[in-house]
Amino acid sequence: MSKFLRSFVFVIIAFSFLLAACGTSATPTPTSAPANTQAPAATSAPAMPASTATPTPLAPGSITLNGSGSTFQAPAESEYAFAFPLVDPAVVINYQPTGSGAGIKAISDGTVDFAGSDAVPTADQYTAGKDLQMYPFLAGATVLTYNIPELDPKGPALILDGNTLVGIYNATITKWNDPAIAKLNPQIASKLPAKQITVVHRSDGSGTTSIFSAALTSFSTTWTAGSGTTINWPADKAGNGVGGNGSSGVAAAVQNTPESIGYVEYSYATSNKLPFSQMVNKAGQTVTASADSTASAMNDFANSFTPQLTNTIVNGSGAGSWPIAGYTYIIIHQTSMTDCVKASKLVEYINWILTNSVATARAKALGYVPLTSAVQQLALATLGKVTCNGQPVMTH
Amino acid sequence: MKKISVPQKNHWLARFQRSTHYGDIPWSALIIIASFLVLALVIAIGWMLWQQSADTRAQFGWSFILPTSNSVWDPLKGVYQSWTFIYGTLITSLFAIIFAIPISVGIAVFLAELCPEPLRLPLGWMIELLAAIPSVVYGLWGIFVFLPNVVVPVGQGLAAAFGQIPLLNTFFIGPIPLSGSSRLAAAMILTIMIVPTITAISRDVLLAIPNTQREAAMGMGSTRWEMIWQVLLPYGLSGILGAIILGLGRALGETMAVTMVIGNSLEATNSLLKPGSTMASLLANQFKEAVSQLHTDAMIEIGLTLFVITLILNLIARFLVWQVARRTPQEARA
Repeated sequence: MSKFLRSFVFVIIAFSFLLAACGTSATPTPTSAPANTQAPAATSAPAMPASTATPTPLAPGSITLNGSGSTFQAPAESEYAFAFPLVDPAVVINYQPTGSGAGIKAISDGTVDFAGSDAVPTADQYTAGKDLQMYPFLAGATVLTYNIPELDPKGPALILDGNTLVGIYNATITKWNDPAIAKLNPQIASKLPAKQITVVHRSDGSGTTSIFSAALTSFSTTWTAGSGTTINWPADKAGNGVGGNGSSGVAAAVQNTPESIGYVEYSYATSNKLPFSQMVNKAGQTVTASADSTASAMNDFANSFTPQLTNTIVNGSGAGSWPIAGYTYIIIHQTSMTDCVKASKLVEYINWILTNSVATARAKALGYVPLTSAVQQLALATLGKVTCNGQPVMTH
Repeated sequence: MKKISVPQKNHWLARFQRSTHYGDIPWSALIIIASFLVLALVIAIGWMLWQQSADTRAQFGWSFILPTSNSVWDPLKGVYQSWTFIYGTLITSLFAIIFAIPISVGIAVFLAELCPEPLRLPLGWMIELLAAIPSVVYGLWGIFVFLPNVVVPVGQGLAAAFGQIPLLNTFFIGPIPLSGSSRLAAAMILTIMIVPTITAISRDVLLAIPNTQREAAMGMGSTRWEMIWQVLLPYGLSGILGAIILGLGRALGETMAVTMVIGNSLEATNSLLKPGSTMASLLANQFKEAVSQLHTDAMIEIGLTLFVITLILNLIARFLVWQVARRTPQEARA
């Protein structure tokens, strides 16, 4: 009996050690990260427009802004996380790419200071989050990469239009030499093969799918699968669809499957040198995906923002507008933040992302499209209305 | 010297020192902790999965997991039936095991009985090395090398051979996609991944069989083939079955490599040659960006289903091992 008791005591002791070990390992970054950012900040901070919002300077690395969400904006966020502490050494940015859905949940639950999302929250999510405010800060185009061995890689690119694309993804257009495709491509019509098209799509829930399916919905009423981050693809039902995990999965599937087509982000296609198609837009012009054509799409919809600053920018009517594009957002609590020092740093961070030329240049280098000035002004005006404990956060 | 205080005889520290002197109690305490941790972990995971899938269980009931010919998984319309994925997991694992058993038992017999001595060690190392390759590497290699060069021809052959035969054409109706992404690809990648596990353990089981068994068989005039087939394999059967169970466990839960090669279709097709999804690959694909709370709950219920199926299959397999182990002494070990 006493032997059992003694071993029981050991169990307790061992568990308490275990718990102690867990306790120390659970809070790693805030203490160790500042040490690294401190050194470069001290030398380069004077050259930058330093923050003067707080009278007494805060210790370097003393404020950590935690964010999580969209994987699409993660490369930009990590660039910002590197660059922003050079501007304001007091701040450490910590962004976890957990997915848009998880990000929206995290900001609603209050476990992060800001969230990233490509998806627009549903009415229920707005209710649960109370005072969620979206800030568009970058846009991205989605392009169609294809693999048709019969075509000359250096020759003219494939041209598609909205209805044809819907037809392909609905599996009503199943061969490359379909009259609808041939009509759009007079130069290469003779080379288009009479072979079955394999349709590649994202298998994981994705903001890219969200943008792409919103575009398909806008192109034609024959697209009935709806729009969202996860779609039940009609092409799968027809038996010629394949799902790839992530942009790399889609790219690999297209690359390995002759006569296939798939959609990826413009930034991914350019950085991996994938061939992608041109599109005939709503105005009847043939356009290619670029920063300019995406900016044109942004301008088409500059006046149709919701109060939460969300917007769809697919199938714009401008002559130069790329028809498949979308915003990516940062989400914050607009009125219910209680830590005013943190709130001011968060607003300062978003302000920097929106306006600083270094920040936009870095994002542009990654293949994102910075906001046009009309959209930027709209976002800044809303940012000026952020309050903390009833007081406006932005003072200048 | 007097300064060093020796604890009194019945002081707690003295009792502590005496009790730990031989290490029995700390050792048994460690074992108790370890075994309770395992139990607690299983219960905690099961409880969490049960708790958080309450909404979908209430809304869809048994229709969520029951077999249907046209099961629907549509997050946008809020309709969730998971039979396609249960089927995908079971069929890929089943075929992986069917492919893997002859290969790995064959290799194990070769390594344990027939292999020339200088080859034995390097071959053994290779097998163990294969078991240590990360699954994402298998997936990558699968996409770029294995699928186009092996799976597509095999799939086309299977479709040509069995695609027209009634009953069998349920599983082998073609054509296989040109990229090779299909349930067959997943089954074959899984085969490659579980062969090292089954081989390594089966070889150790065969090596552990006492030499007297071999000598007795030879002494009675049996050939080498008869010795292996009628004496060694029945003798080691329970151990080999145990190895197969381990392989099956890996096949059921494998996520990354399968996600990369299975084609990730949500459609309710039955053919091995069509793209599909397993429970694990669906979780990997959709959990992160679930569109609604119900979608998340449905994913968690899939996790629960996978958990229960793995548990049931393991129990059945354990029962099988126990049956074999009980039967063997009378027939082979006597």
